[in-house]
Amino acid sequence: MSGEKNGKAAERLLELDGVAVGFPMRRHEMSVVTHGVSFHVDRGEALGIVGESGSGKSVSMLAALGLLGNGGRVVEGSIRFYPGDGSSLELNHLTEKELCAVRGDDISMIFQEPMTSLNPVMTIGAQVEEMLLLHDDAPKEARRERVLAMLGEAGLSGVEELYEKYPHELSGGMRQRVMIAMAMLLRPRLLIADEPTTALDVTIQAKILALLKKFQEEYGTTIILISHDLGVIRSVCSRAVVMCAGEVVEQGRVEELFEHPQQEYTKRLLAAALGKGSVLQRESAPGEQMAAVVRDYSVYYEERAKKLFAAREKREVVKGVSFDVREGEIVGIVGESGCGKSTLAKAMAGLNPLTAGELTLACSRPQMVFQDPYGSLNPAKTIGWLLTEPLRIGRVGTREERRARACEMLRKVGLEEEYYDRYPGTLSGGQRQRVAIAMALMLRQKLILLDEPVSALDVTVQEQILILLVGLQKEFGLSYLFISHDMNVIHRLCDRVLVMYRGEIVESGSTDEVFRNPQHEYTKKLLEARL
Amino acid sequence: MKKRRGSQQNTKNWSLVLGVVLVSAVLLFVVIGLFWTPYNPTAISVALKNKPPSPAHPFGTDNMGRDVLSRVMDGASTTFLISLVTVAIGLAAGTVIGALTGYYGGVVDELLMRLNDTLTSFPSILLALVLVSVIGTGKYNIILALGIIFIPSFARVVRSEYIVQKELDYVRNARLLGAGNLRIMFVHILPNTKPILLSTITIGLNNAILAEAGMSYLSLGVQPPDASLGRMLSEAQAYLMTAPWTALAPGLMIVFTVLGFSLISENLR
Repeated sequence: MSGEKNGKAAERLLELDGVAVGFPMRRHEMSVVTHGVSFHVDRGEALGIVGESGSGKSVSMLAALGLLGNGGRVVEGSIRFYPGDGSSLELNHLTEKELCAVRGDDISMIFQEPMTSLNPVMTIGAQVEEMLLLHDDAPKEARRERVLAMLGEAGLSGVEELYEKYPHELSGGMRQRVMIAMAMLLRPRLLIADEPTTALDVTIQAKILALLKKFQEEYGTTIILISHDLGVIRSVCSRAVVMCAGEVVEQGRVEELFEHPQQEYTKRLLAAALGKGSVLQRESAPGEQMAAVVRDYSVYYEERAKKLFAAREKREVVKGVSFDVREGEIVGIVGESGCGKSTLAKAMAGLNPLTAGELTLACSRPQMVFQDPYGSLNPAKTIGWLLTEPLRIGRVGTREERRARACEMLRKVGLEEEYYDRYPGTLSGGQRQRVAIAMALMLRQKLILLDEPVSALDVTVQEQILILLVGLQKEFGLSYLFISHDMNVIHRLCDRVLVMYRGEIVESGSTDEVFRNPQHEYTKKLLEARL
Repeated sequence: MKKRRGSQQNTKNWSLVLGVVLVSAVLLFVVIGLFWTPYNPTAISVALKNKPPSPAHPFGTDNMGRDVLSRVMDGASTTFLISLVTVAIGLAAGTVIGALTGYYGGVVDELLMRLNDTLTSFPSILLALVLVSVIGTGKYNIILALGIIFIPSFARVVRSEYIVQKELDYVRNARLLGAGNLRIMFVHILPNTKPILLSTITIGLNNAILAEAGMSYLSLGVQPPDASLGRMLSEAQAYLMTAPWTALAPGLMIVFTVLGFSLISENLR
């Protein structure tokens, strides 16, 4: 960006030329995960790398820093870094010792998971200061001053107290700010941010991205932002690279990519991510009968007892909410993590007995689909066993009848019968979520509680699952309570939407109405945070 | 991405193969010993007292002129029986206790686990000694005593696994489908503890073999003239200077068995 704006010739900072990264397999074979990846980033620029999980976007950057685990290495091509003094470094040929000097000083990186990228047994101050100890020999007082100033710059307040705190005392957003402070402490030329906001709530996302942008503008730091979220890329980057299955599919200026995508894959990504995908229209209008009536419903959590035999304290997580779900209706609940939306759904399904208030359901056993398709299927059992389990428990039908019903349900969710004998471990995330949906439908209950069912999936897979959900809803006349933090998904799927904030429903109404004319401050913030 | 370093993979395979070879060789030896031994393992002969290894007696004879090879074949099966049943008792009771305490938690969990702590705070062989002194010596009493001593280690492992597993969504899902607590515990969760149970079992077998050897060495286990590996070591001790071969065969047998199980359990982890 800077180069063209200032009229100067753009100066290269990092260049990948035909890079192929491989990991060793048995018997000296390499499994190559990226092929001929070529792109560059100019000094002062913000470059985005977009792609789904497994597309090779993180691996390419880890290769540049020599941080590939499991014996992975660059098998073809070169990665060149230009420190600015006219020389160039072939990063993929440096020794570990030479790389250490580059990392932190010239290039630093922040990762997705702020929970695990900080050492839990070191104080914040000690961790950030370690960067200085390794790369600098300033006296103790000066080091402390610099760390405090940096933490302040990263938008953290009360830095003196923060210095002595441990990571678990901080929220996710604060931890990510600490990570950024650590990464920026030595004023690196290049900052690589790998999905820095994916684990954070939308309202905090925006602030973290603004912080990255601030550093780019103030210190001329070059940023490479890796994300699966096109909205994140658009708000920070001027240029973007689209990766798919280990190859660069398309690259160019962000505006051009977004307005006139050339490749089919980019178009699909855009359609799914920008919510431009049409509202998934459904013909059946909600009926008059109620599938669920909820009045003054509160849900409590038991805090861990502090002493043996001591009475446990109760904490109110959901505070007296009231709403209805009609038959054949899709009601969305939005809110950030910790607002009580999952707790509400689990309590409605009968998984938490500590409730107060009134809950009337039209069906006996509402079923649930969970967010993480890797945790919700028992890894020790076959798909067929899992699907027939509710029938076995209820002593429904003979063995053959149960098998027939399970196979029919597999076909309904778009899987072939051969999946009957397979184990969950051999399925992809999308396929697992299909099985989870099939399990929820086996008991033929009319109310299904969907707890972030597509959040853990790639955007293109998300799309398929959403279409499947709408199709099944129509076919079986189901009612959904659809929980999500993603406003786009809610907009496309739901008839009505409830906005939850700190355990209360602060706004409700038809989806169109809420999106067009949000009343509550929090709803406005949520809507602003999306594209 | 699940990829391992190639050389690591090869070492693993190699040690697994060695472990399986050792254990199956020992097992073969024991099975043959059940039906046939070169000589009667308890036949005493004054003429053959403490004879060094020879073609007729490959591992020599002991202080009563009994063939050491025959006694090892016979004794190993006794030792194996004791250790297998011991581990089985520990596994069965430990799994049930661990599952109940891990799954339900609460006061019962606290009480049982403190009892568990108390048991593990003594050396297990000491506890076994106390138990044996109460219920008496002999093969079956040893099995019972060691079995009880082995319960806490299994209970602890199973409990911690249940604490992790019970919070996973698949358990919630099972509950939504109408599965009762017992069904969730033993049909849904139990198969998922298999990997950790397998490695605990192999470690348990090792410990049981060593414990039996220790108890018999102290003359609290298998009684003469019956043979067990520990019993034989105990008897060989007095003649270690004059007839060291009497200790060699049972000692090697224990080393091979323990090494074999250890190598297998390393690979199961």
